[in-house]
Amino acid sequence: MKLNTMAAVMNFVSRMESASSALYLTCAERYPPLKGKFLSLATENQKFEKMVQQKYFGVITDAIEATFSFELLDTDDYNLEVVLPENATLPEVLRRALEIESTIIAFYLKAAEVSTGLMADMPRAFRKIAETRKERCLALEALARIMQETP
Amino acid sequence: MSVERLKNFINGEWVEAKTDELVEIRNPARDTLLCHAPMSTRADVDAAVKAAQDAFHDWRNTPPVARARYLHRLVALMEEKFNELSVVQTTEHGKTIDESRGETRRGIEMVEVATGIPSLLQGYLLEDIAEGVDEYAIYQPLGVFCCIAPFNFPFMVPLWFLPYAIACGNTFVVKPSPRAPMSQVALFKLFDEIGLPPGVVNLVHGAREAAERLLDHPHIQGVTFVGTTQVGRQIYERCGETGKRVIAQCGAKNFIVIMPDAEVDKAMVSLMASFFGNTGQRCLSGANLLVIGDDGFYRRFVDRFVQAAASLKVGDGLDPTVQMGPLQNAAAKRRVLEIIERGVAEGARLTLDGRKLRLVGEVPETCFLNPTVFEDVIPGMAVAREEIFGPVASVLRVKDLDEAIGLINASPYGNASSIFTTNGKWARQFQHDVDPGNVGINVGIVAPMAFFPFGGRKDSFFGVLHGQGKEACRFFTDPKIVIERWF
Repeated sequence: MKLNTMAAVMNFVSRMESASSALYLTCAERYPPLKGKFLSLATENQKFEKMVQQKYFGVITDAIEATFSFELLDTDDYNLEVVLPENATLPEVLRRALEIESTIIAFYLKAAEVSTGLMADMPRAFRKIAETRKERCLALEALARIMQETP
Repeated sequence: MSVERLKNFINGEWVEAKTDELVEIRNPARDTLLCHAPMSTRADVDAAVKAAQDAFHDWRNTPPVARARYLHRLVALMEEKFNELSVVQTTEHGKTIDESRGETRRGIEMVEVATGIPSLLQGYLLEDIAEGVDEYAIYQPLGVFCCIAPFNFPFMVPLWFLPYAIACGNTFVVKPSPRAPMSQVALFKLFDEIGLPPGVVNLVHGAREAAERLLDHPHIQGVTFVGTTQVGRQIYERCGETGKRVIAQCGAKNFIVIMPDAEVDKAMVSLMASFFGNTGQRCLSGANLLVIGDDGFYRRFVDRFVQAAASLKVGDGLDPTVQMGPLQNAAAKRRVLEIIERGVAEGARLTLDGRKLRLVGEVPETCFLNPTVFEDVIPGMAVAREEIFGPVASVLRVKDLDEAIGLINASPYGNASSIFTTNGKWARQFQHDVDPGNVGINVGIVAPMAFFPFGGRKDSFFGVLHGQGKEACRFFTDPKIVIERWF
């Protein structure tokens, strides 16, 4: 589905963040040693969603932003595979999480690129979330390495 | 299933209007019944004005900083209910959810600015106008003011006035549009929640009888109005007879000038919002598109404009992918259809015919039109002259900027006009020479922020001081001059 309005983008952000939160909550249940880490990622997702919403509700005006039209954003390009196989190992789960994070980062960077016609606040918020998520990826990669090295 | 009958809010209580006359409030996108609004009588208005008059003494003696604190609480609640408030607007008006969110935001901004009343209300003093004699001016509230509100921005428009009025120490009565009263009910529920003293703000549903009583009531000090030029002029004349102050923001026919050096890609987003945002039901909407340039530029530009207009998704504004909602009711659609037919009859070329509906989702056609574009429009035609208040753009070719400015200034209206150019000299000439009171340079909708007055001239405005910001505070107060000497 084409995301042609900010309302559609906000709905998609919400769905995307909720889906990846759900993944981390499942991980927290299944892998008790990393429960704290996964829970914190799920909480951070909620913050990202709120951040986007607050930014937009904060700058939208009936005159300038309300009918902003996006181009080139399509949900089909950002499908998230969040359902984990029952017997997935922790390294497999971490790889899945990294794939999902990469997809989400790609979405936010594209959203930033195509929303430059909006006041600067929105592309800035999208970029900031993408940057934070890149750091998250580094942490997940490090975790995956530790898991693989641990017998 | 019973349908809600809206209540008035008078003296801090939700009360039934003393009438059996009700109008149906319908969702224009779905053509479903939402509620009934009572057409309040003279007695209902009298009760509201009496409550406001009774509350005035104590309210004006409440320190400005304390009055501002009520507004701070209101802002917090509005933020909390941001989305719910926006959904109500879309449901009763039809605009897209993002347009409603924009309206909510601007409404909040009005209240935020009014919280600065301890600064906005300050007078001034000159020491020693003669030796040992000082003179100062203080701004005092006057009593009860009212707002007769339109349907097109059912949430925001009363907030252009009400927050400033009450922050200045006045009390207030709102009569929302009988076509879209629910947004004000939602707002007044928040007023109820912040615990304003009874009578400071009052809500009376109704139509002509209620409006006329407000205009004639001896305790109403001033009237704020947004609506048609015809009604605005009548209000101004009537209030002139009784000595009431007036801010009447009225009709418009706004011109957008495209210079041959305009950044077309960047302009297109603004132009779509300007001509088709709020389904064209906005006094700041673009109406006449004046294109300057050679044949090649003209064709490329207009083709691009038509293509962009044709691609707008039209449907129920609650669908997040929809970019344009319906007209507010079936009568409004009929009116726009009539003027489209007049345009065709007068020889304008219908390049994009919005009567051929292309709608998103399963929605009844009752109130919908798609974007419409006329070319070969000449100044005398109805589509170039009359306010259409719908999603219709009239394209006129003009030879140069001087001719464009001449056309703009020949219009009886003077609400807004914009130029799209990369040339500073042209932009400067345009803003200096055009009559309208709101001017955009590479901006399609010149909606002044809350801390600036809302401009407007000629048949688009009747009054002296304008709404919003400091000017509104001057409107809602009167200077008292004190000359002081101590022996």
